[in-house]
Amino acid sequence: MSQASLKRNSVLSGTAYYGNFILMTVIVFIPILLVVFGSFKTNQELGATSPFSLPSNWLNFDNYVNAYHDGGMLRGLKNTVLLVAGSLLGNVLLGTMTAYILNRFDFKLKKVVIALFLLAMIIPSYTTEIARFQLIHGLHLYNSLGAPTMIYIGTDIMQIYVYMQFLEKISQQLDESAMLDGASYFRIFRSIIFPLLLPATATLGILKSVTIMNDIYVQNLYMPSKELATLPTSLMSFVSERSSDLSELCAGIMLVLLPSIIFYIVFQRYIFKGLMDGAVKG
Amino acid sequence: MNNLLQQRIIIFSFLFIPVTLMLLFLIYPTIQLFHYSFTDWNGYSKTMSWVGFDNYKKLFFDFPDAWKAIRNNGLYFLIHTIAIPMELMTAVLLNRTLRGSSFFRFTVLMPYIINGVAVGYMFSYFYNPINGPLNGLLHALGMDALVHGWLSDLHIVNYSLVAVSLWRFCGVHVILFLAGLQSVPADLYEAAQLDGAGFWKQLRYVTMPGIRRVIEIILFLNVSGALLQYDIPYVMTGGGPGTASSTFGLFSLQTAFTFNNYGLASSMAVSLLLLIIVFSSLQNWIIKDRSEK
Repeated sequence: MSQASLKRNSVLSGTAYYGNFILMTVIVFIPILLVVFGSFKTNQELGATSPFSLPSNWLNFDNYVNAYHDGGMLRGLKNTVLLVAGSLLGNVLLGTMTAYILNRFDFKLKKVVIALFLLAMIIPSYTTEIARFQLIHGLHLYNSLGAPTMIYIGTDIMQIYVYMQFLEKISQQLDESAMLDGASYFRIFRSIIFPLLLPATATLGILKSVTIMNDIYVQNLYMPSKELATLPTSLMSFVSERSSDLSELCAGIMLVLLPSIIFYIVFQRYIFKGLMDGAVKG
Repeated sequence: MNNLLQQRIIIFSFLFIPVTLMLLFLIYPTIQLFHYSFTDWNGYSKTMSWVGFDNYKKLFFDFPDAWKAIRNNGLYFLIHTIAIPMELMTAVLLNRTLRGSSFFRFTVLMPYIINGVAVGYMFSYFYNPINGPLNGLLHALGMDALVHGWLSDLHIVNYSLVAVSLWRFCGVHVILFLAGLQSVPADLYEAAQLDGAGFWKQLRYVTMPGIRRVIEIILFLNVSGALLQYDIPYVMTGGGPGTASSTFGLFSLQTAFTFNNYGLASSMAVSLLLLIIVFSSLQNWIIKDRSEK
């Protein structure tokens, strides 16, 4: 290709790049900005002005204060954090333990156990909810943080496979030399395997947090009590109580949206790594 | 301690809880689901009677609402499928490091990460019939004929919801395609260029084979995502007006928890489960690489 046409090509694709870029940015941010505008307007102002106009007073936090109090957003945040923390703790411990055993040991029922996990992975957890509902009642977990926590821990089979892939790459010689030094299997797990799996844990944990924070299905079904409302379910009950007050509704939406945006900004590196590695490796 | 004994102890103690949880929360409910689907259970009675395939017969031949719901899933699937080539092209265009590319990646993935319930209500506001932004925009552009009740009109509501689904999920597909594109070695393109392959030929013979795995993943996500679609209609319309915007999953839950017909709901869930397995294996079979044989 000649120098001139190369240059023309890169100018063209630069235009296409930024054209696309700007279009996407507008599509993504406009709906969010409109809600931000609405959240700072009084209800009369919202009714009287165009939804695209800027609020007259950017310091009008009344809607936020009302949504925060009446929506019980702090309690929602607390429950969401508890749910994420509990599930992650269980997930990480059980996931690494399972992967360690299945990757490093041979035993009689190993094939059966692996086949069961594979089978369990194919079943979309969500379709079996009708039957699981009875189980949760039977275990007396209904209306407790325990119900979603146990479900999030028990139904995440994917992470076991990710951990197993990681373990493939960790040399068995490490285990063997530790054995020679007299370390027990538990010691090897605690001091060698678990720490070496931490990078995988970070990525998996962040992605899992996103999944849990976005799930309403399980939280809504098993925790109807107001005391147990999480951020999203708090917003749902706030909306059903205040459906006519659009400006407060906008503020409520922002109060639930903001923590997730902050989480995304802080952990974006892990989120991208997790998604992109998952797509091309394995 | 004897080594073999130690091995047995650690295998048992490490696997006991995870295997129990898996059996309890996944395998057991699945078996129960199949069981319920052959009964007339209402969800609270102590007894239930075996009705054979009656629930399935009703589902297939005498339950138009369920068929309407699965058609709605089909709409999500169809429109998302049409969007896939555009997602790929976007990723191809963006597969370079120019100024601002990290901000761009951030923006594209954002709809997928931020809270889904808040996103649902955000679009409810956007579609609001009274002074909502969409109708406001149409009015300002002088296109009052296009002003609609976006979530109340039976013929439009599903399209409005699919648009939200596109907003939420297209970005993650673009990012997955990007990951695939970046995993194709650059010298393959150089070699193809030396052989005189232009943009389209490179796309066909270098890019597409190189990102086959990503394509598989996206097609799978597309099928399961469309079949399991639940939160957008649940949050925004509750499946309404009537059952116009219900999806199969949402409708099966309503059948169980609202109408207390667990038997019928279970037969719906079983069908959904089988559908997902059949569709995704079919899709994988269709795009399987046969050149290696």
